[in-house]
Order: sequence, then C-alpha cells, then structure tokens
Amino acid sequence: MKILSKTRLENVFNKLNETAEVFVPMQRGEQSGFYPWQTFAAGSDKLWLEALNVYLPPKNVVFPQTERMYNIKQEGQDVKIDETYEDSKSRVIFGARACDVKGITCMDDVFLTRGYEDSFYKARRQATTIIANACYAPGIACFCSAMGVKYVDPEGADIIIRDIGDGYVWETITEKGEMLTARIADLLEEREVTLPEPKPFQQDVNYDGVAEKLKGMFEHPLWDKLSQTCQNCGICTYVCPSCYCFDIQVKMYGNEGYRFRCWDSCMYEEYTREAGGGNPRPASKERFRNRFLHKLEFFKERYGHPLCTGCGRCTVVCPAGISIVKIIDAVKEADTDA
Amino acid sequence: MKEITNKIKETATRLFKEGQVDIFMAWTKGDLPFQTKPYFARSVDDVDNIIFDEYSIHNLSGTLLKFRDGQEKIGIVVKGCDSRGVVRILEDNQFQRDRLYIVGVCCPGMKDPLVAMKNYSGFNNKNSAEGIAAKCLNCTTPNPVIYDEIIGEEQPPHLQGERFEQVNALENMSYDERYKFWADTFSTCIRCYACRQVCPACNCRTCIFDEMKPQWVGRENNSTDNMMYHLVKAYHMAGRCIECGECERVCPVNIPLMLINRKLVKDVNELFGSYEAGMKYEEGAKPALSVYNVNDPDNFL
Repeated sequence: MKILSKTRLENVFNKLNETAEVFVPMQRGEQSGFYPWQTFAAGSDKLWLEALNVYLPPKNVVFPQTERMYNIKQEGQDVKIDETYEDSKSRVIFGARACDVKGITCMDDVFLTRGYEDSFYKARRQATTIIANACYAPGIACFCSAMGVKYVDPEGADIIIRDIGDGYVWETITEKGEMLTARIADLLEEREVTLPEPKPFQQDVNYDGVAEKLKGMFEHPLWDKLSQTCQNCGICTYVCPSCYCFDIQVKMYGNEGYRFRCWDSCMYEEYTREAGGGNPRPASKERFRNRFLHKLEFFKERYGHPLCTGCGRCTVVCPAGISIVKIIDAVKEADTDA
Repeated sequence: MKEITNKIKETATRLFKEGQVDIFMAWTKGDLPFQTKPYFARSVDDVDNIIFDEYSIHNLSGTLLKFRDGQEKIGIVVKGCDSRGVVRILEDNQFQRDRLYIVGVCCPGMKDPLVAMKNYSGFNNKNSAEGIAAKCLNCTTPNPVIYDEIIGEEQPPHLQGERFEQVNALENMSYDERYKFWADTFSTCIRCYACRQVCPACNCRTCIFDEMKPQWVGRENNSTDNMMYHLVKAYHMAGRCIECGECERVCPVNIPLMLINRKLVKDVNELFGSYEAGMKYEEGAKPALSVYNVNDPDNFL
C-alpha cells in the first residue's frame, strides 16, 4: 500500500502548491473551513485533517460565493462584452469528507448534466482534483450513510486517503488522481498496514420511502408545525455542502460594469419575489417547505438521489434547533390519509 | 430550574384554559442534553413539552414578528434581555400590548446550545468555554423589565468588570489598525443574515438589504458589500439595540457584532444620554435617534 506519512504532509502541500491552489481543512480563528495552503499562517491557523469535518464545506472551490462572469461596456447603441472570467486554474481540495465530495457531485448533476452545461462551473470543476479523507468514526450529527453516501469509500474523489494514525493510506482512483500522485510519488512510501474498523453511526435515520411519501404532502399540516420556529436566515443553505442556488446580478458604474453571480438562499424573501411584487413564498412556511422538498423529494425525482448528503452541519448550526433528521422522522410518521 | 419550568407550565395551562392565549412561546428539549430550542405551544396538550433550563437562551421576542399581522393572543416567556426585546417591538409599534401575556423569568445566566453543539459535533475545536454564555457575562439586565407575572428571585447583573472595556480597546487603536481589524473581520461574513433575522430591533417589513429598486447594498460577498451591510445595519441599531447579544451568538462565523452594537450604545449615551434602549415601556416613547430635538448636538455635521 502507498502511505503518506503525516510528517510529510506539508511537503506534499508545498509541492502541489507549485502548480495548483491547494485547499486544506484548517481551524482559522473561531472558524473552520477549507482555506488555501498559501494563506496558512503557522501562528494563528491550525491544519486540521483529523477533524470530523470543518464548519464551512469546500463547495466554494468549485462554486464560489461570488463569481464575476463578464464585463459590460455600453458604447452608443451597442453593448460590448469584453471578458469572461471562466476560471480554469488548477485547484486541489485536500481531505474532504465523503459527504462534502457528494455535495460536489450533486452540483455536477445540476451544472453539467441534462443537456445544460454551466461553463463557469465546468471550467473550475475540470481543473479541480479532489482528495477525499475517508471517515471511520461518524460524529453525533452525522447521518450520511442514510442518505446513500459511502463514508469509508467516498464516491467522486480522485484520490482517497485513509487515516492510519501516523500517516494516510493513499489510494488513487481516477486519471486526474494519477496525475497528481505522479507529482508527489517520491514523498509516498510503500508498506502494509491494517485499516481501522469503521465505527457505527450515533443516530438512526431512515430515508427509505420519504421522497415517494412527500409527493402527496405539499399541503400537509406538518409544514406549519415544523416551520414555525424557523427564522429564515440563510445559515443552513450557506453551510450546506450541496445547496447550489445562485442569483445573477449586475453592477454598473456609468456605462461600464460587470455581471456576477452570487449564492442565493431559498430562505430569503427576495429569492422568489416576482417582478410585479408578488411572492409565491411569502412566509417561512412556504420557504421552509420548499427547502426540504427540494432536498428530499424534487432532487431525487430528477437525479435519483437526495440533495442532502447527511453531513449534519445544518442541524448543528441552526439557531432554532431545526433538524432535517427530525423532518425526515416527522414525514415518516405523518398521517397522510386525511 | 425545575421549579421555574413547573411554574411556567402552570401558567401556560391556566392561560390556555381561560382562553387568554392562542399560542404560548417558550422552549422545548431536543434529543441531546444541551439542545433547548424555541417552542410554540398551541393548546393545553402541548404544555407538557415546555421546558426552562440552563440552555433556554434563545430570545423569543423577535419571533413575535411572525404574528404581528395576526389576531392571536400570545403568551411569551421572557428573560431580562428578551423582555427588552419585547419593549423594542412594542415601542416600534409592531405589536399591541394587549395581545401579549408576558411571563417574566429572572435569569441566572444561560449556557449556549450552539457552543455546546459546535464543540461536540466535531466541526470545531473544543475551544469555546461551555460555562455561562458570552452574552450573559455581559448582561446588565437579568430581570424582566416588562411582565404580567414574574417567576424566580431577582438576580444581580452578571456583568463583571467594565461594560465598555472592549470598545475602549478598539477606540484606542489607530485608524489604520481599526480599519484593518474590521476589514478582516467582515471579510469572513457569509451574508446569511442570521444576525438580522434573530434581532428584535430588525423589524422593518421590507429590509433595506432586500430592496432591489434601488439596490442599496450589493449582493457580492466582498469587503465593500460586506462592510456596507454591517455599517448600515449598525447605524440602524444606534439607540435601538437592546443588547440581548443574539446576533453575535447565532453568527456562524463568530463576527463580534456586539462590539459594534456596544460602541453605539456608548456613543448614544455620551451624545444623547443617559439612555438605555428598551428598559421601560411607555406608550409613545421613542428611542434617542427617533426623536427630533433642536438641542441635539450637531458638531459632527
């Protein structure tokens, strides 16, 4: 087996950093997330691959919160579009968990399949190599397995690493992975090790049949009850590894400006506001219902799997203590005969 | 705490039976020991789910706004800070006093379920103290300032030391240092608007940040727009923030929002004071900056 010793991690980052922007999990001040290795500050940042997971998922690497699309210049009657910002700079996501890799593959479904390709997403995605960090000990909020995520064998990764204490087993999966491995091959060693035994999940979640049952539950009274304490902030959508909604807007300064896209959240009033001022999702109930129907029903109908990857972040951060796990339970238990 | 829970339950049961309330806002327990979350009881049958424990930190007063256009009579449990939130909402004419039955609880200081959740979830280093929550350690008003009935014994203020210590430290920085501090801090904002959503003072029907025509604040996540968001929000808080600290508590990226709000409290006090927002409900009373007075200082013009 190929092994990367933990003492050589930094060498690997430095090596990869020569040709790519390397995103690694760090604790940065009070936050944790995937930040570029070149911004690592030894005093204040902590490299944190042992973390169960970091707070902010790596989705921004392929789908940044704000992304400039092109510049606009108005010249008389003409509009000149001068530059597109498709970004195909090489990037590496190092140490993403299976749930977060799945989040990115969910975005692949949306932005790259079904006859529509988002060129901005595609440029970034094709230039991104994903090194997944297999999980062996799910945390209290984890339920990825219930959502069809293989936590020990992350799907969608180019390389999988497995923590064996003093190092990582390095398993190359794809051609893109081969290319990356070749660059750091001399930093890997060969030895046989025993892999850890995966620990069980700490909570039971059963998603079976939920998508099908939800089809008939749009008007079910349970949405009133479940949504009543939701405050309609966007934390859950912005810490979610798979939420991909965005808005496209323009900033103009006189005759010049640019068009950009930025994350949007279905929790916001503005999200569904119509040109005439009407809003089909005026209050928290409608927005809340849409979020969970999208996660658990609509997405599965279209792409064959849910848009929730069971990372548990939203259940940890929600100020009102709302949990998608409880919603799945409530749907399962709901009486739909009435 | 058990005793307080029982008293709250008794009151809720009585209010439902007498038909005095349609909804009773309190807290309930989640699955984990530290998970206490907002709960709206709608009938006597729900009352048993109510709990008041050391994690009942969530300020429920902002949630009243969900019902501002309705007719429902609402019972609400408030701690000291929450009660100031209720005053804020009443003063801002967002609710009629006679639709509310306010159950005050003298607050011994709370722990923060979000901190515990983060610490145990594995998403953060266990680097946050799990004792009395940061916002409670700065509390000057543990006892409700408005209520129809009150539970528990009066508590002394939890604030130890200088209220404006951190503000003073910030004021002592040079302009450049201060600018860098805030630019760095705001660069981490993810614009989830949780600070706005949880705030009882953020009760505008249409928020300036949601307006599109004109769009006052851009939607890009960059230092210009992030700073604009926080500056505009801060100015709207001047003389209105009731210091419940919820904005800072719910912030998923730990922006020290109370540092801004406390600076404004200090400035309003120095310029127009002494004035503490939401300490007393008097019909028609307005916060400092909502009143025109020819004697107001104008030396900043």
